[in-house]
Amino acid sequence: MKELNRIGVFLCWCGANIARSVDVKSVIEEIKNYPGIAYAEDYIYMCSDPGQDIIREKIKEHNLDGLIVANCSPTLHEKTFRNLAKDMELNPFRCEIANVREQCSWPHEHEKEVATKKAIKIIKSTIEKIKQNAELQPLPIPLTKKALIIGGGVTGIQAALDIADGGYEVYLVERLPSIGGHMLQLSETFPTLDCPQCIMTPKMTEANQHDNIHLLTYSEIEEVSGYLGNFKVKVRRKARSIKEEICTGCGECSNNCLVSNVIQIPELESVKDKLDTAMRDKLDQIIEEYSDEAGPLIPVLQDINRQYNYLPELALKYISERLKIPLNQVYHVATFYKSFSLKPRGRHIIKICMGTACHVRGSEKVLDEIQRVLNIKPGETTRDQKYTLETVNCLGACALGPVVVKDDEYIGQMSSSKVKKILKKEN
Amino acid sequence: MKKIKNPKELKSLQQRLSKTQKSNKLTILVSTKATCCQLQNSTAVTEKLKKEIEKKKLKNKVELITTGCLGFCELEPIIIIKPQDILYKNVQVADIPEIVTKTFIKGEVIDELLYVDPSNKKRIKLETKIPFYQYQNRIILGNNAKIDPESIEDYIKIGGYSALAKVLTNMKPEQIIEEIKESNLRGRGGAGFPTGRKWESCRNATAPDDIKYIICNADEGDPGAYMDRSLLESNPHSVLEGMIIGAYAIGGTNGYIYIRDEYELAVKTLKNALKQAKEYGFLGENILGSGFNFSIKISRGGGAFVCGESTALMASIEGLPGEPRAKHIHTTEKGLWNRPSNLNNVETWANVPIIINQGTDWYTKIGSGNSKGTKIFSLVGKINNTGLVEVPMGTVLRDIIFKIGGGIPHNKKFKAVQTGGPSGGCIPEQLLDLPVDYEKLTEAGSMMGSGGMIVMDEDTCMVDVAKYFLNFLKDESCGKCVPCREGIIQMHAILTDICNGLGKEGDIEILEELGEIVKETSLCQLGGSAPNPVLSTLKYFRNEYEAHIKDKCCPGGVCKALITYEIDPELCTGCHACFKQCPQDAIAGEKKKPHIIDTEKCIRCGVCSEICKFDAVKIK
Repeated sequence: MKELNRIGVFLCWCGANIARSVDVKSVIEEIKNYPGIAYAEDYIYMCSDPGQDIIREKIKEHNLDGLIVANCSPTLHEKTFRNLAKDMELNPFRCEIANVREQCSWPHEHEKEVATKKAIKIIKSTIEKIKQNAELQPLPIPLTKKALIIGGGVTGIQAALDIADGGYEVYLVERLPSIGGHMLQLSETFPTLDCPQCIMTPKMTEANQHDNIHLLTYSEIEEVSGYLGNFKVKVRRKARSIKEEICTGCGECSNNCLVSNVIQIPELESVKDKLDTAMRDKLDQIIEEYSDEAGPLIPVLQDINRQYNYLPELALKYISERLKIPLNQVYHVATFYKSFSLKPRGRHIIKICMGTACHVRGSEKVLDEIQRVLNIKPGETTRDQKYTLETVNCLGACALGPVVVKDDEYIGQMSSSKVKKILKKEN
Repeated sequence: MKKIKNPKELKSLQQRLSKTQKSNKLTILVSTKATCCQLQNSTAVTEKLKKEIEKKKLKNKVELITTGCLGFCELEPIIIIKPQDILYKNVQVADIPEIVTKTFIKGEVIDELLYVDPSNKKRIKLETKIPFYQYQNRIILGNNAKIDPESIEDYIKIGGYSALAKVLTNMKPEQIIEEIKESNLRGRGGAGFPTGRKWESCRNATAPDDIKYIICNADEGDPGAYMDRSLLESNPHSVLEGMIIGAYAIGGTNGYIYIRDEYELAVKTLKNALKQAKEYGFLGENILGSGFNFSIKISRGGGAFVCGESTALMASIEGLPGEPRAKHIHTTEKGLWNRPSNLNNVETWANVPIIINQGTDWYTKIGSGNSKGTKIFSLVGKINNTGLVEVPMGTVLRDIIFKIGGGIPHNKKFKAVQTGGPSGGCIPEQLLDLPVDYEKLTEAGSMMGSGGMIVMDEDTCMVDVAKYFLNFLKDESCGKCVPCREGIIQMHAILTDICNGLGKEGDIEILEELGEIVKETSLCQLGGSAPNPVLSTLKYFRNEYEAHIKDKCCPGGVCKALITYEIDPELCTGCHACFKQCPQDAIAGEKKKPHIIDTEKCIRCGVCSEICKFDAVKIK
């Protein structure tokens, strides 16, 4: 390809936008002698009709093979001048814009010398660039004017609606059995405190009903190949085992499902292999013991609490897995009832009765003294893991109040003066 | 053991067992099998007793029954010798040889082991003459003294399960319900709902899969109440018999006993009783040949007071957190696992066999007005005779506290008696002539509750008591509804400020307003009755609140921020004992000279006051 050597440079003043900082006359002086330049001129408004006419005239007159307009950002007028070039039977890709306004005159408004020098540099770089420009011809190629959106949350749904409203076919693919995503599960949005369901459900129904949208829920992307305008996507449609056309969503099947009626809950990975054999065997044994109970969770947790002196996290996850109770429900129960501890407890557990009779007989003073001596509050364990202090709401031994239980030993008629002695006694 | 196939076989077993009781034999009762007796070393005492009897070759002449709770906790361990009815109190292991030699063999009485009446300092030999027992009507608890709780045959011997036999032979379910209705038996758990009516509505409820639940509420969450534990440890079969009768009347198929986790021994005793009842054919299939099937399981609580509430209890059995629900639909229609469920308290169930056996004419003669039968109270706190008392409804509070309870120790002045647990209120001295009765106690601003009766004296601060109950309830609130969850916390915060000397004008009015709101709008009765302790102490002891707020002083001498410990120089001998014990080194003084407490350093722990033998430490 022959390098261009009859290039025309047209420098715009842009009123005063360029001219007030760039010495347009000296730029033209410099540029007109640059190798490859056949013509160079400056004008007050290049993009105006008279300005464009000047360019047309000069293209013809000087048989220009390249056109550089040094003016504002190409985002504004690149199209203008490329159309002009096309008009003049000059390949539009042999027309380039040198931005000497946003990149030059505006940032350097008060530095005329700098601005002028920079403008020259910018134009010279553009000249060298344009010398390499080939005569590109746009080719029409067949495009598949359809979209596939992965993910049916609020973003995916909105994108699908926008594209579909534009008249194009859209495939909306969602992994879970329903679109809606996380936003649907919230109670308010921030900061407006809007109702997410009120926002989402109209969009969701529209996505379902829109003529241009194909909803593929409970489906996952297997493979994507191809390129822009010509993608090939493999989608696995997971087996619903339900006739979608007649299903009313009443939920009766889910209520009676023997295997599992857990929907919309992501599966956690199994912890079976993370447990050591001794613990797993023990947990299996405990679960077996209550296997004929309709509500086994609490007795199972109690036995685990008794065995390990607290409820280890892995044990809770294993129970959730084996009993098919959602982990959050297991934690809800574990944190609701006082007899469970989520933290390891000390070797000795000191329980103090907070019953009314004991209170009236001075159990507060005993509690204060124990707290002072052990330096822990109820529910806490000493740093050396020796003692855990707990309060109990009535042991039913009121005749002996105030009552303190150290491990399994009940100590009656406690008083603050006896505390140190009791704690020192080792068993 | 061979299964009892029909009521006739039961009758003949009962007769056979009664015949083995020789009239010239001594029967020794020793309270061994209840939790607090065991804390008083009764196991060791019993072992020693068994060894001595063996040693002195008295096995054929003496029948030893290890019983459960005999009620008079203050005197445990107790030995009662029948037929003379001699009662020995606070028996130690060292006393046993003398008891066996002197009393069993020689028939002599050991004076030092007899109960001393504090009013006249006289020693009382006979159990029946001890005022504590004399003024009670122990139709339920009395049986504790006749049986070993681990022996179903002991229970059968005294007529146990004969009410069940009567019901299965002679009565139709509707008749049984009528009988319970006529007896006016009301729920002993606290609310006092007519039991017969509850049974009727459960019987009439439709069970889509024919399963109905019969549940026993043994959660006993009220601090200070332990009568249910005593019943379950000492006479578990009385509760089981009541439940089986109830199941037959209502059409129940499965039973649950929901028992709080803290009651280890009671669970053990119950498990044993259930096993035996099944072996003997009182539970399981074709009970006593009637074709009626019923079984009972135990469900242990997780340590939550709110699980004493019926819907929370059922949620707990289902393995869910114990959060109550609104009762627009009663649990008798949709309860446990959405099936008709009848829930009653332990003591209520224990009343049923008695009513069936003795009849409503007999039963309704006990009690007064609309409250029939007896009620078991746990009389505790600042009282001489701590224990479980069973009195006819309508007995006057004064009699319970002073005649049965023996009054206040150390000659202190009575201030108030708290009934109904955290849902109840405090009754002052001027109302001591109130009878114990569902309606009258509620009118006075308290309630019957499960039967906890805590006596308070002049050294109790009523504001502190209100704060104590709110502290309890704020931790036990399930958190589901706003008034209870937030209201209790705020009321507690105000009371804490008042007790710390930060109370201000207007606090009392806010407490009253908050109290009314929490009462009216809570979802269940935990919140609905939570303000009662505050409102009742405000009603009768407003002056104490005002003293705390205006004068920054605590009349009861309890609130640490408002009291100071001082040593009376007149009484102090300078023995130096307090000096050594003070954890803050706040006491100064030379030996043999009066000591002084530095009030700045003093943390009001009370150790000095406890160990001073001369009573020289005073609280101001």
